[in-house]
Amino acid sequence: MAKRIVLSSVFAVLVVAGLLPVLAMGVKSIIVDGRFSLENYKALLTLGRAQTLVSHSLALSLLTTLCATIIGLPLGILLGKTDLPFGKLLIVLFTIPLLIPPYITAISWFYILGREGVIGRLLGPSLAELTSKWLFGLPGCVLILFSTFLPIVILLTVTYLTTINPRLEEAGRLVSDWPGVLRSITIPLILPGVLLAVMLVLLLSLGEFSVPSFLRYNVFPVESFTQFSAFLNFSAATVAAIPLAIVTFFVLALESHFLREKTYQVRPAHGTAFTERIQLGRNRNWLFAVSALLCFVIVVLPLLVLIVQSLSVHAYALAIAKAGDSLIRSLVYAAVGASALTVIGFLSGYLIHTRAYPFWQTADSLTIFLFALPSTVIGIGLISLWNRPWTNFIYATPVIIIIGYIAQYAAISSRITVSMLTQIPPSMEEAAQVAGAGWFRRMALIVAPLAKRGLIAAWLVGFIFCVRDTGISMIVYPPGLDTLPVRTFTLMANAPAGLTSALCVIMICAALVPVGILTAAFKTRML
Amino acid sequence: MTFLTITSVTTSYNGQPVLHDFSLEIEKGERLVILGPSGCGKTTVLRLLAGFIAPDSGSISIEGDLVAADGKTITGPEARHFGMVFQDLALWPHLSVKGNLEFGLKAKHVTKEKREQLIAEMLDLVQMSEYIHAKPGELSGGQQQRVALARALVLHPKALLMDEPLSSLDVDLNERIRKEILRLHNTLGFTLIYVTHDREEALDIGTRVLIMEKGRIERSGSVKEIRHYFERP
Repeated sequence: MAKRIVLSSVFAVLVVAGLLPVLAMGVKSIIVDGRFSLENYKALLTLGRAQTLVSHSLALSLLTTLCATIIGLPLGILLGKTDLPFGKLLIVLFTIPLLIPPYITAISWFYILGREGVIGRLLGPSLAELTSKWLFGLPGCVLILFSTFLPIVILLTVTYLTTINPRLEEAGRLVSDWPGVLRSITIPLILPGVLLAVMLVLLLSLGEFSVPSFLRYNVFPVESFTQFSAFLNFSAATVAAIPLAIVTFFVLALESHFLREKTYQVRPAHGTAFTERIQLGRNRNWLFAVSALLCFVIVVLPLLVLIVQSLSVHAYALAIAKAGDSLIRSLVYAAVGASALTVIGFLSGYLIHTRAYPFWQTADSLTIFLFALPSTVIGIGLISLWNRPWTNFIYATPVIIIIGYIAQYAAISSRITVSMLTQIPPSMEEAAQVAGAGWFRRMALIVAPLAKRGLIAAWLVGFIFCVRDTGISMIVYPPGLDTLPVRTFTLMANAPAGLTSALCVIMICAALVPVGILTAAFKTRML
Repeated sequence: MTFLTITSVTTSYNGQPVLHDFSLEIEKGERLVILGPSGCGKTTVLRLLAGFIAPDSGSISIEGDLVAADGKTITGPEARHFGMVFQDLALWPHLSVKGNLEFGLKAKHVTKEKREQLIAEMLDLVQMSEYIHAKPGELSGGQQQRVALARALVLHPKALLMDEPLSSLDVDLNERIRKEILRLHNTLGFTLIYVTHDREEALDIGTRVLIMEKGRIERSGSVKEIRHYFERP
């Protein structure tokens, strides 16, 4: 009974935090003056901008996905499957852009390719004019979103490679060289993972608003945010957000229909399989040089530029003076959000893993739907649902931000829990059950301690995503209670380069310190 | 005639020694069974022969040609012309029965007509012709065993390596597949190197049995000799 109540409550929290706001937003978009009307949609379509928004949004998301897949898949195989030197270090470095707000990468590229950027100073203003034009448009947006979402393809490729039974590749190696085995055995077996990565990159780049907004490239999320923040036109903002919700729903429905049942259960149950790494031989050095060069250009160079720009005590003193309170709030909100996500993720992950009740599948699909949903959609949805006088105790306080975090990032903590629980034999809990322990006791004394590493990882990853969040915080933060990414985003338009860079570096540190703790803890086997 | 020679091979895994000063000669066409408990190093011998790992020291020769020595693989798995049946069969789940057999033939650039012919002949031999388009997941355990055998033999390998292929089968099916293996060996005449921990299986399949213990050869002899050894008081 206790189990049913708790797991049903967690499901209810996910519905209230994520699904109801989106439904409320949908309903609000078709009600004008208390009556059903499609007036808002007509207005959007007759604006003339609709066609531009569609073509821009599609071009940006499709090109980003194409580039990330074409480069990410071979790079993932190279880093996860071969004897390339410093493979693990390169994976960590390539992951950094995913862990920081994407607009920070955009700012650093502005300092490189903008009119007064590094290129201009080194190679003259005429070239800088050209690179600036290039940056403020589709190519610039694709470059930044590509570097932000490339790690998704790399990480999922590397992860799925570890799920392949090495015997399947060895059986191929008896008759074919590695390229043949990769082409016909390995890549088809990890295809579900690659397609999952493609889907995530497509949806996340479709919903990203901070980069196109900074680079003045009008797409649906920017339109939605602009209507909301600049013109205070909530109806128009809602209508611009609806296509994103619909596309997300359909893409996930396709994924659910075509992909989920296609995942091959190929890893043997026993852990004896030894995985052979591909020996690159003569190709090792030049492949390393190419990978390292790419890593330098899209990860190290932008970070270096920001650090160099911010190298002054005055800049950091000013940054702390202007945004110290926002930094503290960011850390506190992220810590609270990560804690809530860990609890909810643990319980929803347990529900999904054990398939305890029929609603496990809905809970699973719902968390993924909400993760893939653009943050502007969730933000506007939260306002639609909670902006009422009798819910002001939530809407006018940071609680609304925490609810947004839960809605958007529950999938991450839930997935981490599921992967941890799969490593715990069911007999562990069953033995406790036979010994007479109730469900709470089993969860507290058996399951949670055994899943400790997963729970700590879920908290740290949840913290990173909450602290880097821009979209939800930007839309729902109560007056005077903004976060560091929001403060940086609003300050950077008129702030000097040193201050903006210092704010960005502080932001990067806030996001990366937990990664350092996580890595160190796993290395020293504390976890 | 000596077909395979392993000379003074030492290997380790994660710093733990697996084989120590291991030497073995295998004759062409013989059925050698390596018998031993889990962790004794018998699977490592197969993996060395297949070319998945190289010996830390010592050497391996096939028909007089050096294929691996002192930490280096000279001839890779794809060029040794061996077939292998894995403990978990390792049938490619995304390919049909035909696809599983065809992969190696395509890699060896066998023409389409010849491929069709070889696949049809091999499936006929293992009595699986009617399942040519089925996926491995749609087959029973025994049918999967037959497909794994067919895949390993379709390229007419010089030797067939079998790593406890019957360990997960029930007694009846185990016996039937054993007979099937012996029938195929008599028909095709390949050299068989078979790894198991089951005494009865070893004595039934082998012409020579080698007992391994802690990375060393404990005893080697004909089936008759080994049977006598087991039956001693």
